[in-house]
Amino acid sequence: MKRQRVAAVLAGAAAVLLPVFVRSQFALDMAILTLFYVGLTAAWNLVTFSGRLSLGHAAFFGLGAYTATLLFVRAGIPPVIGAAVAVVVSLLGGLLMVLVMVRLRGPFFTLASIAFAEVLQLVATHWRSLTDGSVGLHIPFRPGWQNLTFTSKEPYYYIALALAVLSVWLGHRLYHSSTGYFLRAASSDEEACQALGVNIKRAQAAALLWSAGMTGLLGVFYAYFIYVIEPTTFFSMELFSLQPALNGIIGGVGTVWGPVLGALVMTPLGEYLRTFLGAMQQGLHFLVYGLVLLVIVRVLPGGFMSIITGVRARNDDRGSGANERGRSYTAAS
Amino acid sequence: MTIGARARTKGGAPTLPLLELHALTKAFRGLVAVQDVNAVLESGEIVGLIGPNGAGKTTLFNLISGLHRPTQGRILLDGREITALPPYARSLLGIGRTFQIVRPFAMTVLENVMVPILARDGNPTRAKDAAQEILELVALDRAANERPENLTLAMRKRLEVARALATRPKLLLLDEVLAGLNPTEVEQQLPLIRVLRDKGITVLMIEHIVDAVMSVCDRVLVMDQGHLIADGSPGEVVRNPAVIQAYLGEEVPGA
Ligand SMILES: Nc1ncnc2c1ncn2[C@@H]1O[C@H](COP(=O)(O)OP(=O)(O)OP(=O)(O)O)[C@@H](O)[C@H]1O
Ligand SMILES: [Mg+2]
Repeated sequence: MKRQRVAAVLAGAAAVLLPVFVRSQFALDMAILTLFYVGLTAAWNLVTFSGRLSLGHAAFFGLGAYTATLLFVRAGIPPVIGAAVAVVVSLLGGLLMVLVMVRLRGPFFTLASIAFAEVLQLVATHWRSLTDGSVGLHIPFRPGWQNLTFTSKEPYYYIALALAVLSVWLGHRLYHSSTGYFLRAASSDEEACQALGVNIKRAQAAALLWSAGMTGLLGVFYAYFIYVIEPTTFFSMELFSLQPALNGIIGGVGTVWGPVLGALVMTPLGEYLRTFLGAMQQGLHFLVYGLVLLVIVRVLPGGFMSIITGVRARNDDRGSGANERGRSYTAAS
Repeated sequence: MTIGARARTKGGAPTLPLLELHALTKAFRGLVAVQDVNAVLESGEIVGLIGPNGAGKTTLFNLISGLHRPTQGRILLDGREITALPPYARSLLGIGRTFQIVRPFAMTVLENVMVPILARDGNPTRAKDAAQEILELVALDRAANERPENLTLAMRKRLEVARALATRPKLLLLDEVLAGLNPTEVEQQLPLIRVLRDKGITVLMIEHIVDAVMSVCDRVLVMDQGHLIADGSPGEVVRNPAVIQAYLGEEVPGA
């Protein structure tokens, strides 16, 4: 317990001081992207506590990003207020997904989540009068906190850090709350859970809504970070639905920290491979990334988290370590 | 059958039965698993439910606990209609159940028992203490931090009972909690059922081990092919020709 706290303080200090020591723009960009993915993966992960697998989180991401951007570009509403409205809109999207979730299980829910994001991408592409379609929207460059636009990378870094911490903290709170117990119980057996008096639909709805709102907020951040927003990027299945899911599964779904580890390892890995191998031979980085994935999934079906819980279980003999053991993912209901 | 028992009086004042089943029917496509079952449970009774394999006993439990909606018929708890209520609401009203095939959650034994407690009082610290107490009651306290997959079958059955008890039920539906246990284990489990009676919990238990049913039950219901074919004291039921007929080819229970 004590060693954990020391480690947390050290990691926190390192995270806060990083921009002071790292002057390379490439490295700082990578750090921002990594923190962003830590946040996104942790937000996505909330839904997995009850054994559900969403591959449609790009929906909430895009809804958040578009809402804040449209409000700023079309109506001059400052990003802070825009972000609040964006979260509300993402929550409304979440509510729609809740309606789907209580009706569909297992792979059917997963497929529906994909469809949801794809439909929103089509809407954003074809509703030209509102979104300028595939041309996209530009956030004008007017530096200042009130416009969430900065000339240097550092402020983005600290915002990404704050959002990552918020997202992980949400997961930690949810996991250890009564709702967290219900979700984890339901991931084994929804029926048995209900027979014990648990309103499981309500618990799952709560998790999905927290997840959707947090994902929408990260969408707002990303929009201001790259300041050009168009449908194929912001509703991208690959970037904002599959990537967080992949990070989460590699790290260990059903745990709080597994997905954090997953994002911390996989984001820099993916970026390095893309930058260095991508220049050598087109597609090579995909091949290597894919191989790394296969090896990890083969060797550690429970994700990175299973190494840590394994070591911890050996240390404390038995007990507490077992609580947060990762589970291998089988897209079950 | 026992509908007439409805206005049974105790000390002059009419008492409402705890559970009433009216013309309960459940059909799965072509198969009628439960057909026109009428029964009443009085508060404080321990009632056995027996019958050959596939008679519809578990299906009846699923109807009472709400996992299945009846095709026809009504279910009343304390005189209140609960036929359309979802399972969790029935649990909160006092119907607890165990599953014939144990269904533990992939979390520690203690956490398993905390789940139903948290559904009533969301405070994890208090739930931990309450769960520990219940584990003591079923003699699982020393296994609190184990995971269910590391327990013996007898222990997993006790965990199933512990979780149901943690719902603080008025009515407890036990589905073969003694099945698969050796005679010594059965002997060890029986006192637990008497503890339930002392706590004022009404029990409806499905059991194939007839000696056990005879020794703890006040009354026995017998089902066969979806029908309720007998309802009476253990002694009456084993002499009932319809019951003997239903078990024909099998060993007649306790006769
Ligand atoms: N969900 C279901 N879908 C279709 N048929 C079902 C379902 N559940 C039960 N049945 C059928 O209903 C009949 C009664 O089954 P049930 O499980 O209630 O019997 P039981 O009396 O509990 O038997 P056992 O002593 O073997 O546990 C069986 O023929 C069974 O196959
Ligand atoms: Mg059965």
